[in-house]
Amino acid sequence: MKVVQDGQYNIGHICTRWQCDNGRADKIALRLLRADGSLRVQWSFADLDRRSNQFANVLRELGFRPGDVLFTFLPRCEEQFVVFLGALKAQVVIGTLFANFGEEALLDRLGDARARGLVTRSSLYRKIRRIRGSLPDLSSVMLIDGPIPPDSGLLDYHALLAEMSADFAVPPTPPDMPSVLHYTSGSTGKPKGVQHVHRSVLHQSETMHEVFNLLEDDRYWCTAEQGWVTGTSYGIIGPWSLGVTQVQYEGGYEPRRWFDILAGERVNVWYTSPTALRMLMQEDPELFRRVELSALRHIFSVGEPLNPEVVAWGRRVLDRDVHDTYFQTETGGIMVANRPQLPIRPGSMGMPVASVEAAVIDDAGEVIDDPQRVGNLCVRQGWTSMFVAYLNREDEYRRRFRNTWYYTGDQVYRDADGYFWFVGRADDVINTAGHLISPFEIESALLEIAEIAEAAAVAIPDSILFEKVAAFVKVRPGICASAELELKIRLHVSNRVSTIATPQVLRFVDSIPKNKSGKIMRRVLRATLTGEDPGDLSTKEDTP
Amino acid sequence: MNVIDELNTVFRSVFDNETLEVGPLSTASDVEGWDSLSHVNLIMAIETRFKIRFNTKELLTFKNVGDLAAAIEKHTRVNGA
Repeated sequence: MKVVQDGQYNIGHICTRWQCDNGRADKIALRLLRADGSLRVQWSFADLDRRSNQFANVLRELGFRPGDVLFTFLPRCEEQFVVFLGALKAQVVIGTLFANFGEEALLDRLGDARARGLVTRSSLYRKIRRIRGSLPDLSSVMLIDGPIPPDSGLLDYHALLAEMSADFAVPPTPPDMPSVLHYTSGSTGKPKGVQHVHRSVLHQSETMHEVFNLLEDDRYWCTAEQGWVTGTSYGIIGPWSLGVTQVQYEGGYEPRRWFDILAGERVNVWYTSPTALRMLMQEDPELFRRVELSALRHIFSVGEPLNPEVVAWGRRVLDRDVHDTYFQTETGGIMVANRPQLPIRPGSMGMPVASVEAAVIDDAGEVIDDPQRVGNLCVRQGWTSMFVAYLNREDEYRRRFRNTWYYTGDQVYRDADGYFWFVGRADDVINTAGHLISPFEIESALLEIAEIAEAAAVAIPDSILFEKVAAFVKVRPGICASAELELKIRLHVSNRVSTIATPQVLRFVDSIPKNKSGKIMRRVLRATLTGEDPGDLSTKEDTP
Repeated sequence: MNVIDELNTVFRSVFDNETLEVGPLSTASDVEGWDSLSHVNLIMAIETRFKIRFNTKELLTFKNVGDLAAAIEKHTRVNGA
């Protein structure tokens, strides 16, 4: 199906009005389930179109202009979808924030993007209130729940929406108009704003066909939250650009409920994470035998490498293949994947999708043709969901490209048959349960604690989460390590950065190993926990 | 201060929300941010505050705040005996 007609690339339009114009006005777009599994909302594409039009009109009324930045800071809820699509219709750039972000993470993102607007709920707004003084550009904050305190300067989302017309003429939107903004962590510095454009819908819709084999009347469930790129690329844009019905669930990981949903909603295609699948592997197989999964055609996963054991478990217990897919915030869509038309090699990432040219390239910039030799995974510049900028960091953006290749930062090899195999990251970014976390963000939060003199964070392997955060701290003179201090550290990181950044392992140490230029030697720290070889220690600074 | 009141203090600190109120029937769905990772923080905070240690079997039986409170009372009774 050709999703772009007459040069109209607007994602909000394609996911709603265009579906209505093509005979799907009454078709169910969204079935949103409460945490207890009951139905909260069922919306047709016409409902989605009307509501997102109303929100686009709200933004116009508030004076938002194309290119202004609006964020959502919401848990899974119906407003998330309305705001996302309405903002895009008004050509406003939309960013989504993970609902468990702490103040520091919020300030970094909202401040860097110079966000003009935010839609949130009152229980989450308390975190914004504490940092609002540092966000001079943030002029419109809408709450989706009340009551709105008088003279608070906050806006009532539902009251605003109710006043607006359900008609909105979406302006012609060129492919290179900024659309979605996600932040991603690097190994150094603050998180980077990854800017996408409306053209990305081409790749997201194509891969829904090519990888997921999605059919018109399928029911599709993506378990990712909208605060992350999977939750927008494949939890909003991909399925709705094709007019496919989506199931969304407000609750978290709950194995029994998840399988009731798969069965009860008759989900045909399920997109989830290796972490969730590894957790499901711990459950009694009886749980899966009692549910009727005849509608479920395909299972896919994304976020971290998928272990061969999960593929074997899927075949044994669910009688289904689990297909691994690979992409990044920067790529905006799937680059390499196992898919139903390709025999699975358990443990491999699969092969590049049709519109993507991928290669393994050495540090000198030479393409590696020898199978099994490890190098940088690179993607040829110009795929249709390619990010167009790191916000305010032009140099860093340029550094990711060399000789028309985008360097993903992942180390891989390719076997003789063209399958790619993940080896590791080329940097120190921690991938826990599919979420990238910068050690720098964690260390910054740790150093805010008065008792801590020095800190370092590293990734160590974990059988469920793929990697977990390990923190090493040196306390100030006169301070003793204690259970109370450990708790204080955990809560501080959790509330300042995010729950996912919370150290799962905490070690009090006498010193943090550094090299002679003062850089933390993370491999040495990692080796103390994993028992692996710490490598060359000749550059280690001799500090007490 | 009864156990539920003390638990409210712990919850407010763990979830960084000074207005949070939990009762015996509150579950993870009722508390914003109560996910598997913050649950570990919560258990650690409860153990530190009440000076108790839950065993693994117990941890699997907690369905709501009331279950947590009952387990705390059981432990503190044993410790106090």
